[in-house]
Amino acid sequence: MARNDLQGSLDLLVLKTLAQRGRLHGYGIVQHIQAASDELLQVEEGSLYPALHRMEQSGWVSAEWALTETGRKAKYYKLTAAGRKQLSAAEADFEKLVKGVRAMLRYA
Amino acid sequence: MSLWTRVQNLWQRKRLDEEIEAELAAHIELSVEDLTRGGMSEAEARRTARVRFGNPGVMKERVTSADAVLGLDVWWHDVHYAVRSLWRAPLLTVVAIAALSAGIGLNAGMFTLLNTLFLTPPTEKDPASFVQLYPLYEGWFTGAGQFPIFTTPDYEAIRAHAHSLAGVAAWYRTSTFLNGGNQRLDAFMVSCNYPEIFGMGAPQLGRYLRPDECKPGSEVQVAVLSDAIWRNDFGANPQMLGQTIRLNGLPLVVVGVMHPAISPFLPSGVMMPYTLQPRLEHGQNLLTSTGTPWLSMAGRLADGATGRTAQAELTTIMQQQDRTYKAHDTKAVDRKTNVALTDGSFIENPRVKDKVAGLMALILGPLSLVLLLACCNVAMLFLSRTVLRRGEIAVRLALGVSRARLARMLLVESLLMTGVAGLISLPLAYVVPELVLQAMGAEDGPPQVVSHPDWHVFGFLAAMIVLATIAASLAPMHAAWKLDLLSALKGREGAATMRSRMTNSLIVAQVAMSFVLIAAAVLFVRLPSIVRNMDAGFETRHLLEMSLDVDRSTPESRAKALILYRSVEERLRALPGVESMGYGTVTPYRLTPASSVRIGDDTATEGKPAVVNEVSLDLMKAVGASLEKGRFFAAGDVRGNAVAVISHAFAAQYFPGIDPIGRKIVAPDGKRLTVVGVAADLRSQQFGMADGPRLYTLQGADERDGNLYVRFSGDPKAMERAVKSAVMAVDPTQTPWLTTVWEDMERTAESFESLARIVVVMATIAMLLAVTGVYAVLSFVVSQRSREYGIRMVMGADRRAIFRAVLLRSSVKVGIGLALGLALAEPGMWIFKQVVANSPVPIRVFDPMLLGSSALILGLVAFAAMYVPAMRATKVDPMRALRME
Repeated sequence: MARNDLQGSLDLLVLKTLAQRGRLHGYGIVQHIQAASDELLQVEEGSLYPALHRMEQSGWVSAEWALTETGRKAKYYKLTAAGRKQLSAAEADFEKLVKGVRAMLRYA
Repeated sequence: MSLWTRVQNLWQRKRLDEEIEAELAAHIELSVEDLTRGGMSEAEARRTARVRFGNPGVMKERVTSADAVLGLDVWWHDVHYAVRSLWRAPLLTVVAIAALSAGIGLNAGMFTLLNTLFLTPPTEKDPASFVQLYPLYEGWFTGAGQFPIFTTPDYEAIRAHAHSLAGVAAWYRTSTFLNGGNQRLDAFMVSCNYPEIFGMGAPQLGRYLRPDECKPGSEVQVAVLSDAIWRNDFGANPQMLGQTIRLNGLPLVVVGVMHPAISPFLPSGVMMPYTLQPRLEHGQNLLTSTGTPWLSMAGRLADGATGRTAQAELTTIMQQQDRTYKAHDTKAVDRKTNVALTDGSFIENPRVKDKVAGLMALILGPLSLVLLLACCNVAMLFLSRTVLRRGEIAVRLALGVSRARLARMLLVESLLMTGVAGLISLPLAYVVPELVLQAMGAEDGPPQVVSHPDWHVFGFLAAMIVLATIAASLAPMHAAWKLDLLSALKGREGAATMRSRMTNSLIVAQVAMSFVLIAAAVLFVRLPSIVRNMDAGFETRHLLEMSLDVDRSTPESRAKALILYRSVEERLRALPGVESMGYGTVTPYRLTPASSVRIGDDTATEGKPAVVNEVSLDLMKAVGASLEKGRFFAAGDVRGNAVAVISHAFAAQYFPGIDPIGRKIVAPDGKRLTVVGVAADLRSQQFGMADGPRLYTLQGADERDGNLYVRFSGDPKAMERAVKSAVMAVDPTQTPWLTTVWEDMERTAESFESLARIVVVMATIAMLLAVTGVYAVLSFVVSQRSREYGIRMVMGADRRAIFRAVLLRSSVKVGIGLALGLALAEPGMWIFKQVVANSPVPIRVFDPMLLGSSALILGLVAFAAMYVPAMRATKVDPMRALRME
């Protein structure tokens, strides 16, 4: 998947990341997605931060300021109960999408 | 996002900004840390991180907008922006806000007044349970349907049998004279629970009526004064209780004074037990009459009763009454009654409902026009500014602002302005009703209408504001919407795009609406002088009109009445200055319905309408009517009583081309009469209009019907006093109502004058608004087209030609506006004619004089407004105008 096509799936990736890693700051999320996808997926900061703030306003994630292990202040995000629900919904949706696309590709 | 978060964001905007900046900075720092850990130098790492990150400013805006999506923040920006842009043009803002405040304030104030007078139930205490009862009769005496009131037996039946009502009060209002003076006073003859049913609270002095004072046969003569009467006629005397006042000569002991707080619900007057009616009015005993309805009724719903169940029960009771009537009273044999219940407000009265609605439309119509005019002006001012600002708007559009957002921006601007205007107009809503009442100069002293704008009024005000906003922002929004981006950015819009069709139609609308108001003003301003300067056809200053209150219900009382009349006549004849006198049944300037008169001997022919005046022998002489043909009545006519005098109009309409003398006619009562004379037409019914066909018939020798008219010479005031004391010398209980015909007309003229003042103020405001509008638009157009005028001048057009061209262009619009105004004024006039159908005011539906003079006034004023901009157009310096290219 190319970088620009991530739009719809960005929420899913962020929610999944937070589900796997617990508490994480924005930079950490970028790093995690990059590493976990074997450098295949690269999240653009320009999309990530607006998405994080939108999810915070929607109540899917909560945020707090904390110190990193190098002693720097950063804003850490954490999944909420509503976010967990949203994640499973998004995962189900994504599964459906993938199945659909696979089916299409078979007949194309 | 919750609304609360959004609102919080609004105030925490700065903190939020800093937080986002810190978060993004932390990201870059983390990234730098990572890169240096990977072996890069710090400087290089920082550069790489920055490149990857992109423009932090843009990023910040994007994150912020995620926070503020759909937020109030955007609105907040719009409001900020609106305040700024209004501030930038202070004069325009002040003018627009002043126009709108005047428009909204006048409307809301007038509505407050109408609301209090017409729409509010007459009680403050639990208005939901208050009901007023209106019987709707069919098949009773002629015109019974016009009288939604009850007879005494009906009232007693309802009081005894209605379980759905917790209480029911009855009242009758009549006009009386206080202490033998010539001042009329309303007497409220009420059932003694009236104060309780109307929730009048405690009196400020003494007490209200006691139940035993309303018992049949009670001789107690007590009265409660209204606050206004107590203040105006008795100087707020604190020792008032126990004093005796005389109404129509009937002595009454004052037992209480009402509280001023209830005065908005009750007209001022004197309250007394309804059982006193026969003693107050000698002419008729309504209390014991079974055939004459006279009592109005209102009650309180019992617990658990609804309007519907009460109505059903009351109708049943009344229909039972109908059957009782059938058994006892042959006159009421076919009476069928239904009962309607209302909340007691004036407008719900079935008899006046249509008229009050018409009246409200007449009052509020012109006022809404004033508001619309104000909106037009604001729209025009805004429109011209939008066009001037099209460069700025184009830049905004080019930067990606959506047109919807732009329209919203303009809407906020007008909303802000109308909001401010609405706030300013709020005090006006309180002041206007009092001013109007003062201008109207109500007859019984200043009425103390306490105007407490309730939710009706606030709702009305809010609707006005919304309406004003939409009207004021529509035009600029439209202009912004269709702005051609490219040409606007280039700043080279052709003159064609500039000539806004919108401004043209606004001018037309303004002229049309102010025409309506000016026509109304001209109409009212002319009325008093019509009344004063008309030739009535007879001398009015020395003709006294008097009515006596005499019981003539039984043969004995008729005999007594005749003795009274004869001695009064004798005394009057002895007064120096009295020349002649006579009785007539048609009162001047009170509309008398026409009866049906048959022409010729044949009783089978169709009747023709004519007003029949039954006169005594000398009335024609006393009035001073002139004779055209034949003779007036002579002493010998009285015995046979078979002759008639007709008016000129009667002769012209029903005896065209033939000599009416000696012809036969059949009077409405079936008497065959021979025409002996033709009298000249008078103008005694409507001001300034010749009377229609009239028939004069002769009263019998012992009859004294109608008013007594006395022709005299000398000072009218002295004569009135002399006549009054002469009458009271015969019968001290008589307090005759007397006036010269001229004084009566003068009173009418004065009441028109006060009305005229109000209308003139409104029309002046409207005209000023229209003039500002015309002036603003025209000067705007002239300034926009100075280039064109410059070119024309270079091409050899002389200044006069340009002046003419500018003037002609707008004259066409003013002309269309006038025509449209005519089309608007005519239906208004028609409604007005219906509302005043029973008054002596002649309203012609199409009055060329009226419309012509209104058009002239407006035309002149519009010309004045066009003159200045047109002159400015001729002063354009061609060189400068062309260099502006």
